[in-house]
Amino acid sequence: MIEHGPLLERLLAGEFVCAVSDERAFRRLEDDEVREQIDTYLRPLNRRLATNAEGSVYFLAWRQLNDEAREQLSRQLGEVLHSLMPMLEWLQLMQEALGHDALVAPGDVLKPAELSARCEDNQSLREQLERLAGDSFFGSQSEQLDAQMKQVFKRLREHGYLLQPHADRQVYLVTGKIDYLVDLVRLIRDEENLPVDDESPQTQESLL
Amino acid sequence: MKEFAVSDEHELESRLIGTGVERLALLGKHADVLMQGYSRDEVPLEALSDSALRRLLAARIVWRPDDQGGVKLAPRVRELIAEMLADETRRQVNADVGETLELVRTLVQSYREAQSQGEYWRQEQQLLRLRQAVDDLNGRFADAIDSLWQRLNSDFGFVSRLTDKIRENERAQKQIVRLLDGLQLIDFDELIELVGGDGTLRKLLISQLQRQISQHYTSLREVQSRLTELMARFRQQQSRSRLISGMAAFLREHPNFVPGNYARRSDVPDLINQAVPLIAAAAPALDHEPDIRVLTDLVHQLPTPLHKPQTVAAARPAEAEEQSLVAARQQALKQDVESFYLTVIDHPDPPGISALAYLQESDMEWGEEIWLFQVIAEYQGLPRNEQKAFELHQLESRASRFNDLRLIHDVTLQLANSA
Repeated sequence: MIEHGPLLERLLAGEFVCAVSDERAFRRLEDDEVREQIDTYLRPLNRRLATNAEGSVYFLAWRQLNDEAREQLSRQLGEVLHSLMPMLEWLQLMQEALGHDALVAPGDVLKPAELSARCEDNQSLREQLERLAGDSFFGSQSEQLDAQMKQVFKRLREHGYLLQPHADRQVYLVTGKIDYLVDLVRLIRDEENLPVDDESPQTQESLL
Repeated sequence: MKEFAVSDEHELESRLIGTGVERLALLGKHADVLMQGYSRDEVPLEALSDSALRRLLAARIVWRPDDQGGVKLAPRVRELIAEMLADETRRQVNADVGETLELVRTLVQSYREAQSQGEYWRQEQQLLRLRQAVDDLNGRFADAIDSLWQRLNSDFGFVSRLTDKIRENERAQKQIVRLLDGLQLIDFDELIELVGGDGTLRKLLISQLQRQISQHYTSLREVQSRLTELMARFRQQQSRSRLISGMAAFLREHPNFVPGNYARRSDVPDLINQAVPLIAAAAPALDHEPDIRVLTDLVHQLPTPLHKPQTVAAARPAEAEEQSLVAARQQALKQDVESFYLTVIDHPDPPGISALAYLQESDMEWGEEIWLFQVIAEYQGLPRNEQKAFELHQLESRASRFNDLRLIHDVTLQLANSA
């Protein structure tokens, strides 16, 4: 168990462990035996190891849901919902600024300076960033584009969606927590039966 | 008669070679124009003379699809260029196994005929063409597989939109199915019967071909499974992107939308069950004998602070962080207390000087409590060796009989060595 000490500590502290945030730890967590060992250890703490549908991130869940745990989960869910719209807008902004037709994905490299430059040249992106940065989730007070972008990235790093490998370099990596967010959106869509379609129109193509 | 036929064939051969060299040279001579025809729909005619155009048409390098229309590259030439450039947007996959097999059958028959008639030269020629046919077949598969790997490894980088990548992937998968169907057409039982006991043919058409075909088969299966994987990833990316933009649009339309509280359900979705962070804190403990030694060592190993002891002017207790006016008063108070300390040094005689008496004699307006507090604070803020130079006596009493709180009424400061 000793060798898993630092990993356990990070998990207990509420971190999401993925292949980007800690490749070695993640590989270990993919091992059934290691997961069982960790689960056994966590039992008296009323916690267990949990993962998303694709198994791309690991985090700790309550083992038994008592009233206290439910209370905490409600609060947490409220916080997540509060951050949902700004997060979705950020994902769309990144996709547009990068000119991609796919969302940013774990392992993608993002450079705020480059992204700022692209927003600078494009009024619509500029406005999107402004609206986004001013949201209470990101909480930027600045009117400067660079400062807004920086603040947005700082908050995303604090929330574990981004990783900054070198503290003195403005280069970020997208973590697996993005997958978790997308899964959560899908859960809400399914639970609430929202008219949000993620199927591609390929079924039509194949019918033709 | 036989001699004549052979020399006839030799002559034909050298004429073919001559014409071939001439026509290949046309490709180089008109490379610019032909490449323009490759990248556009039609070959631009302005730069070509009438005779040059006639030669290109005769060599079937270009052709005119209809009388009114312009001149275009012949399909084979387009394929050749795409192949040379590994241009995946235009490269074609075409194994044409059926036709090659037909050719092989014909050639084997001619070869056997020549053999039975003792026409060695013709036999050699048929064998050469047979080798070329097998090599061509092999090469076409190798090229097709190479093209598939190129596309796969570049994530279909030659198209930028995800929907195009998905279409290209579908197209590649269909090509694989066609190639695999082509491989199925090669019936080794039939070939074994065809070659009979001839060792040379056997080597060429059975052992060599079989080895190559099985390699192609393995490669195609591999590339197929990788393409399927990649397709799943493309589709997943597409679905994620649609989901996020759809949800964002929905929330924009329904700003007051609040989903249910899943945490209150009897069956809480796994995804939202995320335990509250727990910090595994620890502190040094002295209840375990062996640890005490370790801790003592650790304490000894603590680095001594590099900075010099703080000077009196920077003493902590008086250094409350407040606004500048308050800070200025604080600074004045400190200076007055320092003057008091200097006075004590100037008058080293016992029993020292009472802080309150000093205050009352001066024209300073400090409150008594504040004054005493600062004098004590100054003393405590002194570095240890400087502190030793002074003695601070506190005149104090208990708050009441039942309260052991000590009240300080005055302090007396004197130089230590004068006592």
